[in-house]
Amino acid sequence: MLWLAIHFPALSLEIFPSSSGPIAVAEKGIVSCNEKASILGIRPGMTISAAHALSSGLIVKFRDRNAESETLAGLAAWAGRFTPSVSIQASGLLLEIGSCIRLHGGLTNLLSMARRDLHEMGYGFILSCAPAPHSAWLLAISGNETFVMEKEEIEKAIGKLPVELLSQPSKIVEGLEMIGAKRLEDCIKLPRSALARRFGKSLIDEIDRALGKIPDPRKYFIPASIFERRLPLPASVMEAESLLFALKRVLPELSGHLALLQSGVQEIELHCIHEDEKDTLLKAGFSAPTRSHEKMLLLFREILHGASLPSPVREIRIRADKILPLASGNIDLFDDEDNEESLLIERLRIRLGKDAVFGLSEIQDHRPEKAWQTCDSGCDAKGKPGRPFWLLKKPFRCRKGNLALLKGPERIESGWWDGKDVSRDYYVARDENGSRFWVFCDRSDGEWYVQGIFS
Amino acid sequence: MKSYAELHALSNFTFLRGASYPEELVIQAKSLGYSALAITDECSLAGIVRAHVCAKEQGIKLIVGSEIAFSEGIRIVFLAKNRTGYGHLSALITKGRRNAKKGNYRLSIDEIKEGLPGCIALLLSNPLPSLEIAKKAASAFPGDAWLSVELLRCGENLSEMAEFGRKSALPLAASSDVHMHVPERRALQDTLAAIRQGVPVSEAKTHPNGERHLRPVKDLCSLYPEALLEETMEIAQRCHFSLDELRYEYPEELVPKDETPISHLRKLAMEGLMLRFPSGIPEKVRNLVEHELELVKELHYESYFLTVHDIVRFARERNILCQGRGSAANSAICYALRITEVNPAHMEMLFERFISKERNEPPDIDVDFEHERREEVIQYIYGKYGRDRAALAASVITYKPKSAIRDVGKALGFDQEQLERLVKSLSWRELNESGFNPEKISLLMKLVDEIIGFPRHLSQHVGGFVISRGKLSNLVPIENAAMPERTVIQWDKDDLDAIGLLKVDILALGMLSAIRRALDLSGRQMHEIPQEDPEVYEMMGNADTTGVFQIESRAQMAMLPTMQPKCFYDLVIEVAIVRPGPIQGGMVHPYLRRRQGLEPVSYPSEEVKSVLERTLGVPIFQEQVMKLAVVAAGFTPGEADQVRRSMAAWKRKGGLEKFEQRLMEGMLERGYDEAFARQIFRQILGFGEYGFPESHAASFALLVYVSAWLKCHEPAAFACALLNSQPMGFYAPDQIIQDARRHHVEVLPVDVNQSEWECTLPSPSSIRLGLRMVKGFSMEGMARLASARSLQPFESLDHLASRAGLEKRDLLCLARAGALSGISGHRRKAYWDVAGTAKEMPLAPNPVDDVQPDLLPLTEGENLVEDYGSLGFTLGSHPLSLLRNQLRKRKLVQATELDHCPDGRIVRAAGLVINRQRPGTASGVTFLTLEDETGQINVVVWKDIAEKQRRELLSSRLLAVYGKLQRNGKVLHLIAGRLNDLTPLLGNLVTRSRDFR
Repeated sequence: MLWLAIHFPALSLEIFPSSSGPIAVAEKGIVSCNEKASILGIRPGMTISAAHALSSGLIVKFRDRNAESETLAGLAAWAGRFTPSVSIQASGLLLEIGSCIRLHGGLTNLLSMARRDLHEMGYGFILSCAPAPHSAWLLAISGNETFVMEKEEIEKAIGKLPVELLSQPSKIVEGLEMIGAKRLEDCIKLPRSALARRFGKSLIDEIDRALGKIPDPRKYFIPASIFERRLPLPASVMEAESLLFALKRVLPELSGHLALLQSGVQEIELHCIHEDEKDTLLKAGFSAPTRSHEKMLLLFREILHGASLPSPVREIRIRADKILPLASGNIDLFDDEDNEESLLIERLRIRLGKDAVFGLSEIQDHRPEKAWQTCDSGCDAKGKPGRPFWLLKKPFRCRKGNLALLKGPERIESGWWDGKDVSRDYYVARDENGSRFWVFCDRSDGEWYVQGIFS
Repeated sequence: MKSYAELHALSNFTFLRGASYPEELVIQAKSLGYSALAITDECSLAGIVRAHVCAKEQGIKLIVGSEIAFSEGIRIVFLAKNRTGYGHLSALITKGRRNAKKGNYRLSIDEIKEGLPGCIALLLSNPLPSLEIAKKAASAFPGDAWLSVELLRCGENLSEMAEFGRKSALPLAASSDVHMHVPERRALQDTLAAIRQGVPVSEAKTHPNGERHLRPVKDLCSLYPEALLEETMEIAQRCHFSLDELRYEYPEELVPKDETPISHLRKLAMEGLMLRFPSGIPEKVRNLVEHELELVKELHYESYFLTVHDIVRFARERNILCQGRGSAANSAICYALRITEVNPAHMEMLFERFISKERNEPPDIDVDFEHERREEVIQYIYGKYGRDRAALAASVITYKPKSAIRDVGKALGFDQEQLERLVKSLSWRELNESGFNPEKISLLMKLVDEIIGFPRHLSQHVGGFVISRGKLSNLVPIENAAMPERTVIQWDKDDLDAIGLLKVDILALGMLSAIRRALDLSGRQMHEIPQEDPEVYEMMGNADTTGVFQIESRAQMAMLPTMQPKCFYDLVIEVAIVRPGPIQGGMVHPYLRRRQGLEPVSYPSEEVKSVLERTLGVPIFQEQVMKLAVVAAGFTPGEADQVRRSMAAWKRKGGLEKFEQRLMEGMLERGYDEAFARQIFRQILGFGEYGFPESHAASFALLVYVSAWLKCHEPAAFACALLNSQPMGFYAPDQIIQDARRHHVEVLPVDVNQSEWECTLPSPSSIRLGLRMVKGFSMEGMARLASARSLQPFESLDHLASRAGLEKRDLLCLARAGALSGISGHRRKAYWDVAGTAKEMPLAPNPVDDVQPDLLPLTEGENLVEDYGSLGFTLGSHPLSLLRNQLRKRKLVQATELDHCPDGRIVRAAGLVINRQRPGTASGVTFLTLEDETGQINVVVWKDIAEKQRRELLSSRLLAVYGKLQRNGKVLHLIAGRLNDLTPLLGNLVTRSRDFR
């Protein structure tokens, strides 16, 4: 067995859009920060206010553990392209690669493939190898990439590591330091039973696991039966190239995910979440199941260049829910690009037309034209008396002259928060023909408008 | 034109609903020509006193009332017709508030089924209640109930309301559900609603329009039938209660049956004087007491003095040290009653200065108690008077810039991270550049500006007690505080002042705990401390004041060598002068120059001389500045006091010009030149907010003297007492211990066989550190240890483990702190041994097969790290002495070497950063205190260096400073030219600086 440990030291930061200025992630105190911030003296463990004191331009993000585990799961899926045995750690992955090194053309080759992918996806990482998973892990989190191939070499390799790397409670670590056992080799030297007595069997077990002396079974990542992943963008973007850049991070995950399931997809949904418009849904359809992320990317490039987005996108979501079995051999069999493209465009047209009639959730708003959007299904949910059933989305100007005011005024003053403050007096009015309207006088300029028509 | 009385108006004391201050409503109602205004905050009278004060000024009738939503769904506004009605309303509010968690209330309609005698009920009609409940409520107020009709242009149906009124036999009256004084507060009102609902304003349930303001009578006439408006006048006519009728009735029980309050007070005062002056009461003091008693009698303040006396007597019986301060505390009566130890024979203060007949303002006595024992005093007061007669005054928590940005920002839909950035950033301009939408920011700014100062909730005052003769709830509503079993009244200190109710401040002061301990340890009594000891003043003149009350701060220490205090009154000045008021008013340097004889002392007139003579012509105390406005500019004392109170508000909202003009004109008229007048104006500005009263300074000065005397003559007892009273004061135990050792006090380490819980004095010149210094060691562990040890000292760890039955956790703390070194060798070995005791059963001895490895003793550096980690200080070498060789290589000198350097020399020094301060008064300067193995170095960092080297300044624990030495007499400052972070040299050592307090 040979284990590859991949540690992501800056994961908690990297899940956020990158920033050109100083940025840090905080939970109770600072958890991690970028280089700009660290030049300014910001360090993990510092209080948030101390960090702000050091840099007024510092952006502090609150740690998002959900997004971190989502990202790790995504990365585990990506790792599925190398081996089916992937185990998720607190801040990284453990891959059993002993059985598949040859498949990937040797360790060096495998490592350089992994490095290239991770680099493309934009994560910082530290790799280490060892015949026991825990020692590979300890070596990776120590920060120095180390590759140990033989079991007999483990002790020497991990001996100099500080005890604080162990996954023991801080009390135990402090205790070890107190008695002068600051490195793993110090612990290994101490009498085992006496040590176990003082610091618990779990310490001894952990050391033994690291040395590969006792079995250390791992739970492997099992991908979900659908693939769903969201990715917030550093800044809202319109350009296809920027969106493609983001897709480069996500599609390899999908590809690995599919490899783990030994399957492929024929349709991928891309949801573009906008600042203030409703989502745009783009679909990529393949004529046959595929799991090649290069291919997926190519297709999305076409789609994005052809699509017109209503407004900038702040987040993308990738979703594939129809995962189809695909033997590893037949990945590239049905490549028929031209045919595929025309089919796809056809499909998108159909889809986009249908999706345009999305309903919005109910809005608490006194302004009739804003409240209108909430009840487009035809029933007046609010049931306010004295209001017409048919409300105009945009009120139109009218002359007051020929209108008889029957009832009112009802005064509405609201909406200052979105820059569309209104101040209006509403009346029920009737024209010469006997038609009844809901009209208002705009109190800011005295002009009259029709808002609705009574049936 | 018709008139109108608004009977339903909420102020911003209906938190997060009302969008105008009570005063704004009153002023607006007056200017609209309303004949009366009712302030009817929801189940609260918290804003009524302000409204009352303002209504009196404006000359408009104020009606006291409250809106209450009953759990059955009906809402009623109650208005007090008379004192009886007010009492019932206050009691009803109390009941509702006491029924629910802080900030809420709960009342059932059944609570008023007998009515509220003396109150009018207005049943609110939006929405209409059920007819049955309305009838039930109306029947409880025969002839005094109305249905209120509120036409707010929201499609109300007047005929439906009239029909309801007919069915329930309720006459109709107009009202407007007022939430704000002008329509321009609409956005703020919506924002408050959103904050209350915890959602962005776009999702909040808000009012559809801004009609809930005080509307012009003309506008109302066009909306309401005339009869409904006239009805409001009829109702207003029936309400003739004014808060002026509230008379405070003092507790009676303190006066024996056969005595009158004044005769009893005289008796106690005379008895006290005999004890104070066993060899005969000086004529001067006797006359002073007689004079004061007369004044007290005239103003009916006897019971107040008796109340304070009783509390102080209780404290003394329990051996709780206390000391009074405040306007009345430094009277001869208070000296006689032992409320203060400031001897009137030594002071030139006159009681009359503190109690002003003309102002008719109640005397003010704050009593400080030992901080650890104040709760006993509070429990005594509750026990003696009962919870229905004694309660804490409220303190109104208002919106500050940060809370305002957070709450308003959330309501406007900013996300949490953006808000934190906004809060942290001081310059709005910067924000606009950092990617925020400028329109949204300006909206935020406008609303934040409006909301700052708005009351947010009531909290409890630190210790202001109100005690009444009868039920307090009859006087003012009482509600639950956040702390269980605590209640607060709905009025704060200023409200009480305005109504003329007395309160006693029961405050906590750490220094009193330390002084009591030091006195106990040295077997002395406070009054036995010799006065005016020149040795003590000499010590202070050398700025040797670590641990001394008030004058231990960096700024005070810098002042002392120049000031050279020689007598008690100098201390009174010293306490008051290092404050923002005198510093901003530019009084410090003139005073010091005059004191050193570098500048002549002159007075522009005899009147001014009478006020300023005791402070060499420079105003230092708040009283002096106010008095100047009186003698030099013709203000009445009442006006001068009003100036002081209003200063903060004027500075914020404008309004200073009127006062400035009045003051300048008054002074020019009286023949003062313009420069002098301008100077006084500037000083009043500085003092208004931050001035320190002489009456407080005098009491503080006494504690300064006593603590300095103890430090001078009983250094071991004093340091020991400080250590046992932690946390308190300016310095951490580390500095206190080092200072004691510099004064030849031997400090002995914590030891499981020798140490008590507290630090003790095995000899007059040595301190044995107590186990309370060991981080994490429990008091319970101490109890077990003490009882086991009383039989026989521990000989071995097994012995300790088996006999004391300590938790392993406690044993480990002791081992780490080195407290076991007497019985288990060095701390690494002790820790190994303790860790080896069985977890569940620390009693069991280690099994025979346990191996003892060779553990190396800790190096000096490792010991140091452990000392700081487990105790927070070390008795071993100072960390810098271990680093000295490395520091020498960097050409860094020791603190003591600086003493011999001349002014202006360029030097390089380094030390642990033990203190960082950036006083608001010193424009952008940061003061650092560095400590090395020989002493402390005071560093001044000017703004430009601070900006350039922010990282070094804020995050270094070991800092080297290259700079220029500035020498001013004995005072040394190192003016930083460059900072160099040497923290990596410290390795694992954890040190802590006390920053920016």
